[in-house]
Amino acid sequence: MTDWNTLSDAEFRKEVRQFFETEYPEELRHLPHRPKFAEIKHWHRKLHVKGWVAPAWPAEFGGMGLNAGKLLIFYEEQQRWGVNRGRDMGVQMVGPLIIKFGTQKQKNYWLPRILSCADIWCQGYSESGAGSDLANLRTRAEVEGDDFVINGQKIWTTMAHDATHIFMLVRTDPNAPKKQQGISFLLAPMDQPGVDVRTIATLSGETEFCEVFFDNARTLRENLVGELNEGWTMAKALLSFERIFIGSPSLAQNALGQLETFARGRGAFEDPLFRDRFSQAALDVEDHAALYARFADQLKRGETLGADVSMLKIWVTECFQRITELMIEAAGPDGGTVGPLQVGNVSVDVLASFYKARPTTIYGGSNEIQRNILSKAVLGLPG
Amino acid sequence: MTQIDMISSDQEDLRLLRESARTLFDRAGGSGRARKLRDAGDGWSVEMVRELAEAGIFGVTVSEEQGGLGMGLAAAGVIAEEVGRVIAPEPVVATLGLTLGLLRRLRPDHPKLEQLIGGETVLPVAWLERGQNGGPAEASCRYADGKLTGSKAWVVGATGAHGFLVVAEGGGGPVLVLAETGANGLAVEMHRQADGSALAELSFSGTPAEMLAEDVAVIEALAGAVSDATALAAAELVGLSDRALDITLDYIKTREQFDKPIGSFQVIQHRAVDLHVMREVAQAGVREVLAQMDCETDPKIRARLASRAKARAVTTAKKITRDGIQLHGAVGYTDEFDIGLYLNRALVLSAWLGDDAYHRRIWFDAREEEEAAK
Repeated sequence: MTDWNTLSDAEFRKEVRQFFETEYPEELRHLPHRPKFAEIKHWHRKLHVKGWVAPAWPAEFGGMGLNAGKLLIFYEEQQRWGVNRGRDMGVQMVGPLIIKFGTQKQKNYWLPRILSCADIWCQGYSESGAGSDLANLRTRAEVEGDDFVINGQKIWTTMAHDATHIFMLVRTDPNAPKKQQGISFLLAPMDQPGVDVRTIATLSGETEFCEVFFDNARTLRENLVGELNEGWTMAKALLSFERIFIGSPSLAQNALGQLETFARGRGAFEDPLFRDRFSQAALDVEDHAALYARFADQLKRGETLGADVSMLKIWVTECFQRITELMIEAAGPDGGTVGPLQVGNVSVDVLASFYKARPTTIYGGSNEIQRNILSKAVLGLPG
Repeated sequence: MTQIDMISSDQEDLRLLRESARTLFDRAGGSGRARKLRDAGDGWSVEMVRELAEAGIFGVTVSEEQGGLGMGLAAAGVIAEEVGRVIAPEPVVATLGLTLGLLRRLRPDHPKLEQLIGGETVLPVAWLERGQNGGPAEASCRYADGKLTGSKAWVVGATGAHGFLVVAEGGGGPVLVLAETGANGLAVEMHRQADGSALAELSFSGTPAEMLAEDVAVIEALAGAVSDATALAAAELVGLSDRALDITLDYIKTREQFDKPIGSFQVIQHRAVDLHVMREVAQAGVREVLAQMDCETDPKIRARLASRAKARAVTTAKKITRDGIQLHGAVGYTDEFDIGLYLNRALVLSAWLGDDAYHRRIWFDAREEEEAAK
């Protein structure tokens, strides 16, 4: 088995790039929506055969065993080529949790099924009353014989309508003194009478988000991961890598490229005001990339990232939004038109980019929550 | 030694340089020294220039063969940041970027280079001219038969200068000449700046001057030196912004209203966080630019990089110092609090060598030119 970490960064990058460029289907590059599994099945099979489904997992569990630096390169190349992440909730969220906190039996059963996509996972965290204040969640799970019985509802469950299983945070001790206590991490099958999924129509017309209703739904007691009432701490432990990933420059960089193509094609650069606004946005992206590189270097040196990494997400998501807003401006009278707009021999879907940018300041901890974190944990402001 | 080891030892050199510069400035009195010098109307301190020279600070960009330390612009940027942190009024960046930038490129053999590195002389560069409408104009200052005639404007560091490096028209092309301060027919008029410093307007009428270099080499060296100085001014603004925000954060943590520190109010907190994110982005961006300029020889790309740095640094410093006043409330409007010194210094440094809007234009045009050439 290859120990990828022994390669130099440049060698590894070349290897990854070559695989994506030769193997990834052209028609799936830069997909503007989240695909259902059927749409990307063939690509997933290639990855599975190559052994590249789980870049971050240790090799003993079938992963690539990449260290943080190599992992970042892998994701950078993935984004550069517009490779879809696929249905990776299992790989990104459930797998690492089972590896860290699961029993041997859970590892043996679930991990191979995640890699092969025999099970497709969705994440049941948010509820209507528990968004930014996630610890306020109310969905209950009570022990009954060999089962947990689940009642309540989850929302913003991405692609739940195309998932076979859900991993969820549930309240198992309603009398715990603090709301962060009394929360457990459960795995549950979706295909049962007590689970009802409804898709949510979004502003962009996509139906990626769902509501999931639990009415005496059941899952085996052995599907509890980790200790009872320890779910909150476990889920939080997983977030550290996600925090740099969510602040990566790629979304804004790709949008800037689109903006430039579109604005040039439409003659928007003839307007000096527009030129200045474009320059501001482009420099915002370049300088953000410099800051991102600083954090990435920290990871590559094996250091852990502090709370200050949140600033990447704040800056880049707001910048992404401004870029897509400039696209609308450049579109002039076409600014409200649905679907791809023609410029020269290329087309740019201006509204799709605009909509895609909107939730980025809301998900993954809204930017306001990120500001609260920075204010207290980094600037040390009182109260 | 692996590549990573080399990079980290460079980082270690920069860290040590930063520490020694910071200690030197702090021991001299930090920003309090800047206030005293401003109140005394003395401009800047000759002793401080000597002390900086003893610490090797004016030799960082000069190669070891020419008697310097050969540490590059990244190291000069570290010093510029520290100058900015204490708003030191000495013309450190002007000397490192412009004066030494010109001399080390054109006349590394000239004895003035050693004197500059040794802090024994200060020689501001005069290359801009003021037109009829008060704005910048084409150069018309002439050098013929060993004498200068005409005028120059916006000269930094003229208070206490020993002479001037003047870019003039030599008949057959541009020349770089050296005019001593007390030379015949040289008149110096000072224009007071917001931070208490002065910009000089020089007028020459048959002023004797020594020819240092001529022809296209002068234009090339000037372009290189202006790029260096522009990026270093950006680094100075990064250091200034860093300290101005720290001062403001300290204030909002202690100032109480409604029986609470005002820094406990979310509206203040979010504003402070936005300023913090700005300063971190600016620091990362400007440091990256300086490191890239050290590896880049194409003058157009170096100029574009310098513009990127100055645009970022000016936007950041303006926002942080102006919001700093707001977050201080009424006392921010008094001369007693240091935040005002930082606001004033930011005004002067922003205007010098072009502000953010100016540099975004330059940056965009350079990028278009590169695109077209592809």
